[in-house]
Amino acid sequence: MDFISTHLLSTILFFPALAALVMLFLPKDEAKLHKWFALAASLVPFVLSLVLWFNFDPSQPGYQFEEMYTWYAAIGSSLHLGVDGLSLSMVLLTTLLTPIAILASFSINDRTKAYMMLFLFLETGMLGVFMALDLLIFFVFWEVGLVPMYFLINQWGSANRNYASLKFMIYTMGGSLGLLLAVQLLGVLFKTYDLQTITEQWSAYTAPIGGIPASTFKTVAFWAFVIAFAVKVPLWPFHTWLPDAHTEAPTAGSMILAGVLLKLGAYGFLRLVLPLYPAEAKYFAGALAFLAVAAIVFGAFGSYAQTDFKRLVAYSSVNHMGFVVLGIAAAAYAAGTADARIALNGAILQMFNHGLSAAGMFFLVGVIYERTHTRNLEEFGGLFPLVPVYGGILIFTSMASLGLPGLNGFISEFLVVRGSFGVGVNSVPVMAVYTAVAMLGLLFTGAYILKGIKKVLHGPMNEHWAHGEHKLTEINTREIIVMVPLMVLILWIGLYPSWILDVINKAVVMLF
Amino acid sequence: METTTLIWLIPLPPLLAFFLIVLFTNRSKALSHTIAVGAAALSFIGSMIVFVRALGVEHLGEHPFESAINWLPTGDTWFRIGVLIDPLGAAVLFFVAITIFMIFLYSVGYHNYGQPAGDHDVKGLPPHGATVTDEHGHKHVVPSVEPMYSRFFAFLGLFAFGMYTLVVSDNLLTLFVGWEIMGLCSYLLIGFWYGKPSARDAAVKAFMTTRVGDVFMLLGIAFLYSATGTLTFREIFTEETLHALASTPAWFGMTASGLIALLLFIGTVGKSAQWPLHVWLPDAMEGPTPVSAMIHAATMVSAGVYAVIRMFPLLTADWNGHELTTTMTIVAFIGAFTALFAATIAVAQNDIKRVLAYSTISQLGYMIAALGIGAYVAAAFHLITHAFFKALLFLGSGSVIHGMEHGVLHTGNHHVDPQDMYNMGGLRKKMPITFWTFLIGGFALSGFPLVTAGFWSKDEILADAFGHGHLAVFVTLAIAAFLTAFYTMRQITLTFLGEPRTEEAKHAQETPWTMTTPLIVLAFFAVTYGWVGISEHFPILGGLVPNWFHDFVGHTLAEVPEAPEFSWIPLLTSLVVALGGLALGYLTYRNVKSVSEDKFQIPLLKNKYYFDEAYNFLFIRPAYWFAENVVYKFLDKGVIDGFLHAFGPFTQGTGSALRNYFDLPVINRAIGDGSAEITYWFGGKLRGIQTGRVQQYLMLALVTFIVIGAALYFFVFAA
Amino acid sequence: MVPLSWYLIFAAALFSIGMFGVLSRRNAVAILLGIELMLNSVNINLAAFWRYGDVHLMAGQVFAIIVFAVAAAEVAVGLALVISVYRSRRTVVADEIDMMKW
Repeated sequence: MDFISTHLLSTILFFPALAALVMLFLPKDEAKLHKWFALAASLVPFVLSLVLWFNFDPSQPGYQFEEMYTWYAAIGSSLHLGVDGLSLSMVLLTTLLTPIAILASFSINDRTKAYMMLFLFLETGMLGVFMALDLLIFFVFWEVGLVPMYFLINQWGSANRNYASLKFMIYTMGGSLGLLLAVQLLGVLFKTYDLQTITEQWSAYTAPIGGIPASTFKTVAFWAFVIAFAVKVPLWPFHTWLPDAHTEAPTAGSMILAGVLLKLGAYGFLRLVLPLYPAEAKYFAGALAFLAVAAIVFGAFGSYAQTDFKRLVAYSSVNHMGFVVLGIAAAAYAAGTADARIALNGAILQMFNHGLSAAGMFFLVGVIYERTHTRNLEEFGGLFPLVPVYGGILIFTSMASLGLPGLNGFISEFLVVRGSFGVGVNSVPVMAVYTAVAMLGLLFTGAYILKGIKKVLHGPMNEHWAHGEHKLTEINTREIIVMVPLMVLILWIGLYPSWILDVINKAVVMLF
Repeated sequence: METTTLIWLIPLPPLLAFFLIVLFTNRSKALSHTIAVGAAALSFIGSMIVFVRALGVEHLGEHPFESAINWLPTGDTWFRIGVLIDPLGAAVLFFVAITIFMIFLYSVGYHNYGQPAGDHDVKGLPPHGATVTDEHGHKHVVPSVEPMYSRFFAFLGLFAFGMYTLVVSDNLLTLFVGWEIMGLCSYLLIGFWYGKPSARDAAVKAFMTTRVGDVFMLLGIAFLYSATGTLTFREIFTEETLHALASTPAWFGMTASGLIALLLFIGTVGKSAQWPLHVWLPDAMEGPTPVSAMIHAATMVSAGVYAVIRMFPLLTADWNGHELTTTMTIVAFIGAFTALFAATIAVAQNDIKRVLAYSTISQLGYMIAALGIGAYVAAAFHLITHAFFKALLFLGSGSVIHGMEHGVLHTGNHHVDPQDMYNMGGLRKKMPITFWTFLIGGFALSGFPLVTAGFWSKDEILADAFGHGHLAVFVTLAIAAFLTAFYTMRQITLTFLGEPRTEEAKHAQETPWTMTTPLIVLAFFAVTYGWVGISEHFPILGGLVPNWFHDFVGHTLAEVPEAPEFSWIPLLTSLVVALGGLALGYLTYRNVKSVSEDKFQIPLLKNKYYFDEAYNFLFIRPAYWFAENVVYKFLDKGVIDGFLHAFGPFTQGTGSALRNYFDLPVINRAIGDGSAEITYWFGGKLRGIQTGRVQQYLMLALVTFIVIGAALYFFVFAA
Repeated sequence: MVPLSWYLIFAAALFSIGMFGVLSRRNAVAILLGIELMLNSVNINLAAFWRYGDVHLMAGQVFAIIVFAVAAAEVAVGLALVISVYRSRRTVVADEIDMMKW
C-alpha cells in the first residue's frame, strides 16, 4: 500500500501496459477471458484515479503526486510525472472512459486478445500525455497513443478503414513533425526537457539564437506547437481526418477517439502553448479564434449535411471542440482577467463534457449499427416504438450534446460564450464578433441534433425493422450499463457542476 | 417551513415525478398519473402558501423572499443561483400554479384514462378507438386510452419543472435553464405523436425557431454578465448598475442596456412567437390539446413575456419617460404589429385550435407592445388574465374536440376532421358546461365590458397607450382588439350556436369531470381576476374595489409606475371594438352553412401571408444547400481533402521522379553500377600481368623498385 | 682493419648473385637457394654495421639471429611446398607452377 501511495501516478500510468503484457500469456481463443481481464485491468487505474481525485488538494499551487525517475540523463530528459487540477480532470476522464469503452467492445469477437491489448496500451499512451511534466516524455506518449489507435481502426474498422487509418496516421504524424523539432529546439537551448524549468525560462527568453532574433524562433516554434495540437483537436481546416477516422473506427475506438484523443490536442494548448508562448498566443489569438469559429460553424454545417449517422456525430465533435479553442483563444487575448478565467473554465469543462457526451453518442450509434448494419439515416425512421429505452437514452444524450441547460454541455458552452464575449466587451471588441458568429454554430448544433433524432426515432415507422429477421432488438443490459455512468455524470455536472469545476477553476486561477 | 426553503422545493415535485415515471412506473398508467398529478398538487399547494405569505409581507418589493447558493466557480468569485419571490414573482406563481394543476388534471380525462386499449393503436400515433361488446352483445366503438399515457405525464412534469424554475429564479441563468427545458418539453410534446410526419416536423420547427431567439438571448446574457459581473436580478436592477449600463455606449448606436435588452428581447420573440419568429406556434397545435394549453397559456409563451417584464428595468434603463428608446420602439413595433398581423390570420382559420393559436400570438403582441411603451403593470396584468382565459379556451377547445371524436367514433367516419369548425355547430346543447365556460373565455378574450377579466387588462393597455400619446400603437391595438372580438364570436358561433352541420356533431358528448372541473375553475378566474386590477379612476367602479394588482405588482419596481390618467376615449374605444366585434361576428356567421359561404377565406390570410413558404425558401433550403454543397462537398471534400488527396499523388510523384530521374540513373547506374564497371574493365585489362609465375612477379617488383628508387633519387633526394 | 665498404660491396655482390639466381633459375629449389644467399648478404650487412657502429647496442646481432631463424623456417616451409607441388604436379620448374593466376 505504501508503494502505491508514493507511486500513485506511475502505477496508474503503467498498470494498463503491464496488464497488456500479461495478456500476452493468456490463451488465444478465450475471448471471454480476454474481455473480462481487460475490463478488470482497466478498472484498477480508474479506482486509483478516484483515490487520486480524493487525495488531491485543489487549493495547493503547482503539481502534486510528483514523481521523477532518470530516463535519458545524457540529454537531460527524465520521467517526470505530476498532476494539477487541469490534468487531473483529464486523467479521470481517461480512466473512466477506458473501462466503459472496453465494456462497450464486448460485442467484438474477432482477435479479442490483440484488440484488448491495444486498448490497454492506448490507455497508457493517453495517460502519459496528461501526466508528463517533461517535454520529451510528453512527445513520446503523444506518439505512443497513435499506434494502437491506428491498428484499432485499421484492423477492426468498417469498410473504408484502410483509407481512414492511413489518413489519421499521416495527418497526426505530419502535425507532430514540427512539434518534435520545436521540442528539440527547447531541449537544446536549455539542456533539459523539464517542463517547469522550460516554462520559466522560455517565456522570458530574448537572446538571439544563432544570430536569428528569438522572436522569430518563438513565432515559428509557436506555430509548430499550434499545428500539432490543432490537428488533434481538430481545428478547422485540419479536421478532415476526423470524420473518416471516427466513422470507420470500431465503436469503442470512436468513443475513445472522440472522448480522449481529441482532448490531447486541447490539453496541449493549455499545458504547453499558453504557458510557453503567452506573448505569441496573445498576438495570434485572433487567428486562433477565427479558426475556432470556423470549426464551430463549419462543423455544425458539415454535420447537418450528413446522411450517415456516425459521420453526423463525428462532425459534431468538430463543432464542440471549436468551443474549447474559442475559450482558449479568448483567454490568450486577455490572460489574467476574470473573463479569461471564465473562458478557460468553460474550455476545460467543455473538454470533459464533450468526452462524456461524444462517447455516449458514438456508443449509441454503434448500438444501432450492430443491429441494423447500416448507418444511413434514410434507412431508419420511426424506430422509437420498437426501442423505447434506446430512444430515451438517445434523446437524453443528444440533448447533452445539443447543450440543453440542465445537462453538462450547457454549462461549459455558456462559460465559453460568457468568457469570450466578456473579452469582447471588456478588452478586444473583435472577440464579440467572433462569439456572435459562433452563435450561428450553436443554432445549427440544434439543427443537426434534431435531424439525427428525427431521422432515427421519429416519423412513420420503417416496417423493415419491425418484423422477421431484421426485427430491431432493444438495447441490452450491458449496453445500458455502459451508458449509465455517462448519463449520471452528464446530469450531475449539468445540475451541480462545482464539484469538478471547482478543481478546474482553482487550477486555472493558479496557472493563468 | 421557512418560506425560502419552500420556494426552493416548489419546482422539485414535477421533476421528481418525471424521473419516477420515466425510470420506474412507466408501465403503470394509474401510478404514473397519480404521481404526476400529485406532484402538480404539491407544487400548487406550495405555491399557494408562498403566495399567501407574500401577500402578508409589507413592502415585499424591497424585501422579497430570496435565498441563494454558490453554484459555479468563476475565477476568484462564485456565480450564485437562487430563488426570488417578489410581487411580480408571486403574482406569476399564482396563475402558473393554478393553470398547471388544472392542465394536469384535465390531461387524465383527455387521454381517456380508464378506457380500454385501442384495437390498432400504436405508440407514436393518436389513439383510434377501441371496440367493446356490451352485455347485450352489441359492439360499440369507444375512445381508447393513449398508448403513451405515462410518458405524457412524465413530459408534462418536466415541463412544469421548467416553468416553476423560471418563475422562482433570482437570476437570468436559471431562468434560461427553465426556459430551455421548456423548449425541450415543447419539442417532445408537440412531437408527442411523432409517428405523424406533420407532428415531427412541427416539433423540430418549434425547437429550431425558438432556438434562433435563444442564441441571441444567450448572447445577451453573456453580454449582461460581462458588463455587470452578475446575473442576479436584484443586483442588476440597482440604481448604479442600471445607470452604468445606460451610460455605456455599445455598438449600433445603442447603449449597453438597450443592446442587452434587445438581445434578450429577441429570445422572447422566439419563445412568445412574435413576428417574425411566430411561425412555429400554429404548427405546435400538432401536439395533444393539454399541451397546447400548457404551451400557449400557462407556461412557455408566458415565459417569454415574463422575461421581458422581469427585465423591464433594464429595458427602460436609458428611458427618460417620454421619448421611446430605440429598443423600446422596436419592442413596441413588434408587439403592435404582431397583435394586428396575427389577428388578421386568425379570421381565416377553420381549425378550432389554430384560431386560438393565432389569437395567442396576437394577445402576446399586446403585452409586448404594452412593455414597449413602458406600461409595466398593464402588461403583467394582461399576462395573467390572458393565461387564465386562454388556458380555459384551449382546454375548452380540447373538450370540444374530444366530444367531436366521440361523434366520429360513433359514426365511424374517420374522414371527418374533429377540429374543423365547419364540421361542428350546435354543440351548446350537447356540451353545456363546455359551451358556457368557452363562452366566458371567449368573452374575456374579446374584452366583454365590465364582467370579464380581459376587458380590464386590455383596457388598461389601451388607456396607457393613449395616455402616453403613443397613438400609432393605440390605433393598431384597437383594430386588433376589434378583430379579436370578431374572430372569437365567429368561433363561438360556428362551434356552438346554430344547428349541427354534420352527423358527428349530433353525436358529440360532454366530457368527463376531470376535464370539465378545470374549465369551471379557470372560468371563475377568467371573470374574477379582472376585478383585482380595476383602475381607481374608472367611473363608478373605480375605488369600489381597490386596485390591488397595480399596487402589489407595481412595487416590484423601485419606482412604482403611475397609472395613466383616465380618459373616455380609450374606454369608449374598447367598448366599441369589443361589442362591435362580437356583434359583427355573430351576425356574419349566424347563418353560414358551409365553408364556401365564408367571405373571409382569403388565400393570403388562409396561408398565413406565406411566411412558411418564404422562410423555407429563404432560410431552410439555402441553409441545407450551404451545409451540404458548400461546407461538406466543396470545402471539406473538395478543397481540404482535395488538397490532401493532391498532396498524396504529389509526394508520390516527387518520389517516383527522384527514383526515375536521380536514383536510378545517377546513383544506381552512374555511381553504383558505373564504379563497378570501371573496376571490372580495368581489372580485365590488368589481369594479363598476373601470370602465376613467381619469377615474373619478382622481376616486375624489381623493375618497379628500381624505377621508383631512381625517381626518388632524381626528384627528391638529388633535388 | 678492413674498411666497412669492403663488407658492403661484398654483401651487395652476394645479394646480386642471389637475386640473379632467384630470377633466372627455373628450378624452384635453386630459387630457394638464391633467397638464402640474399638473406645471408643482409646478415653480413647487419653484422658489419654492428661491428663498425656502437658495439654496445646489440640490435644488429639480434636482427641477424632473427634472420637466421626466419631463413631456416622459410627454407623448411619452402622445401615442403616444393615437395608437395612436386608430388602433385611432377615438376619443380617455377614457370610451370602457374595455376595461381586469374
